[in-house]
Amino acid sequence: MAVLTKTEPPPAPPRRRRLVYRLRVLRHDPTAALGLILVILLAYLVVAPLVAVISDAFRLQYGDDVHAGQRAGEWTGYYLWRVFRSQISGLLFWEPLLNTLVVAVGTTLFALILGGGMAWLVTRTNVPGRKWLAGALVVPYMLPSWTFSLAWLSLFKNERAGGQVGFLQAQGVHTPDWLAYGALPIIVTLGLHYYPFVLLLVGNALRRIDVQLEDSARVLGAPRRVVIRRIVVPLMLPALSSAVLLVIGRVLGTFGTPYVLGLPADYRVLSTGLFQSIRDRSTGVASVIATVIVVIGVLIVFTDMRLMKEHRRFVTVGGKGAMDRLSDLRGRRWLAFALGLLVFTVSVLVPVLTLLLSTVTRTPLDLSTFTLDYWFAERLPGAVGFPHGVLRGSELWEAAWNSLRVVGLASLVCAVAGLLIGYVVVRGTAPRIAGFLRQVSFLPYLVPGIAFAAASLSLFAVARGPVPALYGTTFLLILVMAVTHLPYSSRSGIAAMTQLGREPEEAAQIAGASWWQRMRRIIFPIQKGALVTGIVLPFISGLKELSIVIMLTTTGTQLLTTLSIGLVDYGYTQLANAVVLMIALVSFTMTYLTQRLTNSSLASGLGG
Amino acid sequence: MPAITLRGVAKSYGGGDYAVKNLDLTVPDGAFMCLLGPSGCGKTTTLRMIAGLEQPTAGTIAVGDRVLDSVEGGLYVPPEKRGMGLVFQNYALWPHLSIRENVEFGLRMRKVPAAERRSRAEAALRMVHVDAAMDRYPSQLSGGQQQRVALARMLAVNPSVLLLDEPLSNLDARLRLEMRAELKRIHEESGATIVFVTHDQLEALTMATDIAVMNDGELQQLAAPMDMYARPANRFVAEFVGSPPMAIIDVGPSPTGLAASLLRFTEARSTRVPPAAVGIRPEALRLGAPPASAWHEEALVEAVLPAGSSWTVRLRVLDTEMYALSYTPVQAVPGDVLTCWTEEMHLFDADGVRIPAEDSSADSSEDRVEAGA
Ligand SMILES: Nc1ncnc2c1ncn2[C@@H]1O[C@H](COP(=O)(O)OP(=O)(O)OP(=O)(O)O)[C@@H](O)[C@H]1O
Ligand SMILES: [Mg+2]
Repeated sequence: MAVLTKTEPPPAPPRRRRLVYRLRVLRHDPTAALGLILVILLAYLVVAPLVAVISDAFRLQYGDDVHAGQRAGEWTGYYLWRVFRSQISGLLFWEPLLNTLVVAVGTTLFALILGGGMAWLVTRTNVPGRKWLAGALVVPYMLPSWTFSLAWLSLFKNERAGGQVGFLQAQGVHTPDWLAYGALPIIVTLGLHYYPFVLLLVGNALRRIDVQLEDSARVLGAPRRVVIRRIVVPLMLPALSSAVLLVIGRVLGTFGTPYVLGLPADYRVLSTGLFQSIRDRSTGVASVIATVIVVIGVLIVFTDMRLMKEHRRFVTVGGKGAMDRLSDLRGRRWLAFALGLLVFTVSVLVPVLTLLLSTVTRTPLDLSTFTLDYWFAERLPGAVGFPHGVLRGSELWEAAWNSLRVVGLASLVCAVAGLLIGYVVVRGTAPRIAGFLRQVSFLPYLVPGIAFAAASLSLFAVARGPVPALYGTTFLLILVMAVTHLPYSSRSGIAAMTQLGREPEEAAQIAGASWWQRMRRIIFPIQKGALVTGIVLPFISGLKELSIVIMLTTTGTQLLTTLSIGLVDYGYTQLANAVVLMIALVSFTMTYLTQRLTNSSLASGLGG
Repeated sequence: MPAITLRGVAKSYGGGDYAVKNLDLTVPDGAFMCLLGPSGCGKTTTLRMIAGLEQPTAGTIAVGDRVLDSVEGGLYVPPEKRGMGLVFQNYALWPHLSIRENVEFGLRMRKVPAAERRSRAEAALRMVHVDAAMDRYPSQLSGGQQQRVALARMLAVNPSVLLLDEPLSNLDARLRLEMRAELKRIHEESGATIVFVTHDQLEALTMATDIAVMNDGELQQLAAPMDMYARPANRFVAEFVGSPPMAIIDVGPSPTGLAASLLRFTEARSTRVPPAAVGIRPEALRLGAPPASAWHEEALVEAVLPAGSSWTVRLRVLDTEMYALSYTPVQAVPGDVLTCWTEEMHLFDADGVRIPAEDSSADSSEDRVEAGA
């Protein structure tokens, strides 16, 4: 019996013996098997599409063999050349890339100024109605991003694209193309949609800054301006850089707005370019563009994580006083309030009211032409593809049912998968499987949805082995939707399971419950709440989802979003607006109720 | 009722570190064994391996002649088939089930009919005095009540092996005393084999039939409580068991002061190996006129700390601080110079291992007491 000299652990049993033992254990514990199934599924649904799209970019597609002088299926640089160096590469790639950059930078600046200013107003000043403003200014994020572009068209549309003109034009004011379409409207409408995002991120950071840091600088004699420049701004840098990068990432993948406001004036960005290449069946070119989008997306997120890591040393633990010490705006309090109200008016009231009024007037917003025909009429003269009010006929209801079915199933799949991933990770019986699940389920976060949809098309558009071609099926749509929301649901699943810990299940195991009984009677009932939030959050954002849906649906299956975009294509502005209003109404109500009922913050559901 | 045997059991959670190293331990049939040791020494890990929730890296675990785990033999019985009872360190009650449903769960899994389930759950809850809160949910109970529900949940199924991970740590002093007595009664009535994890040595000394002291993943000593107290197998056990702890004076190569005095005395008693350290328990350090055979020195009283039924006296003996614990009133005041003496010393060699006394009959059962090599 020695204490000061350590006993050695016994020699490890021979490898073969250990393996036999390990297999025995695994036979009684399905966690590892479950983990393995999830690994295979994720590899197939997340990794394989990305591999497929990249390989499609370098492999000659059928039909291109004549131009390229190679045989189909061979490795080729043809598409790279076509996209980057050929005569049409300006049209295919460089112009859209430049436009994307312009839109991204413009939107980011716009959102940053608006969101940053409002964040400061609602967190650090004594502006009247702070609480209300803080809530109201987040509303634009609950509406589909292209709501704003439809409202814009209702106001500024000119005769260029045909169909109904906008309010100004109808009043006899000519709206030039640069005001009706292209960079400016896209930047403004996207900025109005994304500033709440900045507001949330920056607002949280501002709340956490310890006021004592500012105070101590003031005590040392630094004037207010210097304090802001030398203390507050550096401390805010992590949140600011994060907001910037995330907004850029979102804009990169956004589809609806540039589609509605850009294409009529031939103003193309990468996402709409990708869409057109796919519509034109130029798979190779589409794959190259999708790959570029994936690469940019990955770079953005990695840069963000890198910066976050570097900034971590700055993290200041919030002082309790942070909330109570507000800048006194004195006489300008009401001016500030008016400013906040103005932002709310422009970003919520004006678009929503414009849309609403446009659906009840024949001449846009001219109340003397009031009509309820666009909602209720049995026959709408002149509308060929949709000859009745939106609430009549079966189109809207079918689309709504499809939305409910597809998005609902996708959310359910996503939430259950998230919980199961959390379960496998927390059980810890298979650390390597858990690590893989953790990382791969996060992967779709790096890839803008539209590029991911393109990637899925690469893999599933044709029959491969025993898997039939899935293009156009709702099954594929459900899968892709579920996968793109997986980063959020797996994170919340892991968080929920970690919080619960292993013991409740182990206690049931000791009490004699089999794995099924443990799942059915213990794990899922306890995680009911997490499951519901895990379904509702992806559901809300899926309802607004356009880019993935438009890439993956054929005309056969309409969802609410594609129905609305289809009506825009036809030039039926009022009908399109009516549909988008309904989407906005549903998604706003659901977000609001969920927040009320579960106290979950919108920030955790920023997947929109 | 079965005995539990662990043979060469080791557990590593990955990496080179072992939470449990080469553990050989037999919990005799019907024993009430306390696993005692400082935080992080591997008590919970050992218990979880017995329950089957954790798999050993090497070794064999058996209950009676049923092998539950054998890495070498490729045998494994899952926890749900081991039929043991386990109380978790953090209770692990199911938040979505009422107290009654929590307790009935195990019976439900054993397909006990509803009426019997009900009465057995109620009886178990009555035993731990939470029957009044039967229809509440765990979050509506205090920590102590939750702990008792966890006990009831385990007892309701009447397992023959009970594993308890610090089940009394959250109770107040009175309730803890009561639950100790209750557990002892349950043990005597059911005859179940109990493994009880604690880091409270008083709890171990009062309840256990056997104590296993662990440190750093190793078994230090396995003995009956009083044997362990009287003859700690090594310095770690000597310091860990007993309160206030034993004073251990290192005897270097050229000792001075107190160490020299103690060494002179022990050499006069002609122990074979000269000790590297000498330990004296506070209650063995007496004040007053010494018997002829005792070691004694002059001591300066520095403080007297009465504690109701006992008196602790801080002394300075040859420039070394020592504590004496007395169960009779101490009249001295600080500044007094008294004689302190003792007849009980614990000697340890350079490795910290106990050196048995040659002639003393008290140390004759040494071989039985020491565990391991
Ligand atoms: N799941 C785990 N993964 C990795 N290491 C672990 C795990 N569980 C325990 N350990 C490590 O094993 C060692 C023994 O832990 P154990 O929980 O058995 O200690 P303990 O004696 O029960 O302590 P306490 O009295 O604090 O409960 C510790 O060093 C601990 O950090
Ligand atoms: Mg423990």
